[in-house]
Amino acid sequence: MHSRRVVSIFVVAAVALATGFLVAGQVKVQLLTPTNQVARYQALVRSVQELAASNADSRAKIASLRSQIDALEAAAAQRSAATQALQNQVAELRAHAGLTTLHGPGVEVDLADGVPGTDSNAEAGYRVNFKDVQDLVNLLFAKGAEGIAANGRRITPLSAFSGSGGEVIIDQGPAITSPLKLVAVGDRNRMEAALNDPGGLPDIRAREVQFQLQISFIGGPDLVLPAYDSSLDTRHVGTL
Amino acid sequence: MSGRFRGRAASGRAISVWLIALLVALVATVQIRSQAEVEKSFAGADTASLAFLIDNLHRANDSLQAEIADLTQKQAKLQSGSDNAADQVLADEANRLRAAEGLVPVHGPGVVVVVNAVGLQAIDLQDLLNNLAVGGAEAIAVNDRRVVVGVPIEQTSGGVTIGGATVPPPWTISVIGDANRLAQAADLMTQQMRTDRRVRQATYRVEADVVIRAVVSARPFVYGVGP
Repeated sequence: MHSRRVVSIFVVAAVALATGFLVAGQVKVQLLTPTNQVARYQALVRSVQELAASNADSRAKIASLRSQIDALEAAAAQRSAATQALQNQVAELRAHAGLTTLHGPGVEVDLADGVPGTDSNAEAGYRVNFKDVQDLVNLLFAKGAEGIAANGRRITPLSAFSGSGGEVIIDQGPAITSPLKLVAVGDRNRMEAALNDPGGLPDIRAREVQFQLQISFIGGPDLVLPAYDSSLDTRHVGTL
Repeated sequence: MSGRFRGRAASGRAISVWLIALLVALVATVQIRSQAEVEKSFAGADTASLAFLIDNLHRANDSLQAEIADLTQKQAKLQSGSDNAADQVLADEANRLRAAEGLVPVHGPGVVVVVNAVGLQAIDLQDLLNNLAVGGAEAIAVNDRRVVVGVPIEQTSGGVTIGGATVPPPWTISVIGDANRLAQAADLMTQQMRTDRRVRQATYRVEADVVIRAVVSARPFVYGVGP
């Protein structure tokens, strides 16, 4: 009698387990994507990670080389007044090109993704994209910015903005994504007035309402911008 | 009494086994489901975006390597210790930066894009210029107005202005840079523009020597302080 009970308990347990695995198997069939597709995706992700690491190394090396060159130029300038004058000119030009740090009054603008909408045609509208950064940079420069950085990437006279989906690429840097912080040094009052103007940044304002895209800003008396750490490519340009 | 007790104990054990079996099944289901969800989220992301990132990073890393080579050369020249070498390095750097900042007239290979349209806004021009910058533009002028990032392009009641001056259509955009890359960018851009009802004409031509004489005025910092 006792052994029959034990057997029946085991039978019941085995049936329950089998049912569990059948359910799990069904879920697996429905949800799991083909393994090769996953492997391909993972290979692409690895490539991006490796290239981004190499990118960071190169930018660090450029920053270090520029610093060493600065020191060598300063040493040369000590020996000659003409060299000193040239060095001063170059220092001024480098500052305006964003190749050196800059600090002063300004604004910090925070941009972050909103909430996905129900309309599938407008599905990307809730994400911060490169055009938002481009629009903000253009607005801030037009309203008194003397230097701008986006998530620590300094904007130069030749900066370009690109990206796909919610990824923002500035010049030769890696992709950055929401949340984004733009820091601008310059005429703080004009920039604050422009950011408060409901008529400015029409696309961002519309998506702020539609998707709760987040934009906010705060002024500061002394903000710091990092130096540009990539290539300012003018290989094809000759002066007249 | 002892038989009833044994019977209760046996049914209690059966319930326990049932519960354990159900728990195992539940855990297995949840586990497999979460793995599947994770893998689905991987595969569901846009592989085109990744390909775009890889392409961009490759090009960016090539540019960074070229910059490192250039800086290493400058460093070696400066380390030679001669004042002439330092003056040469500094003079070259000054010329390069003046060109990048739009302070001097420049020339070089590139493209000339002509866009004739009614109703295009400042934001359209900003997008066009950014597309060309992404395509490798090193110097740009629109209707003989030099443009670099920082020169305001604004919408006014009188039309689009660059640095405060109105630039009525047609827009002739002169661009210097890698002509092959710029031609690709201009080709794609003009094709897209021609689908816009406001655009009457959008064409481009590749030129071996585009000349840009327009310059921007240097703006000294009023608020910003350098290092």
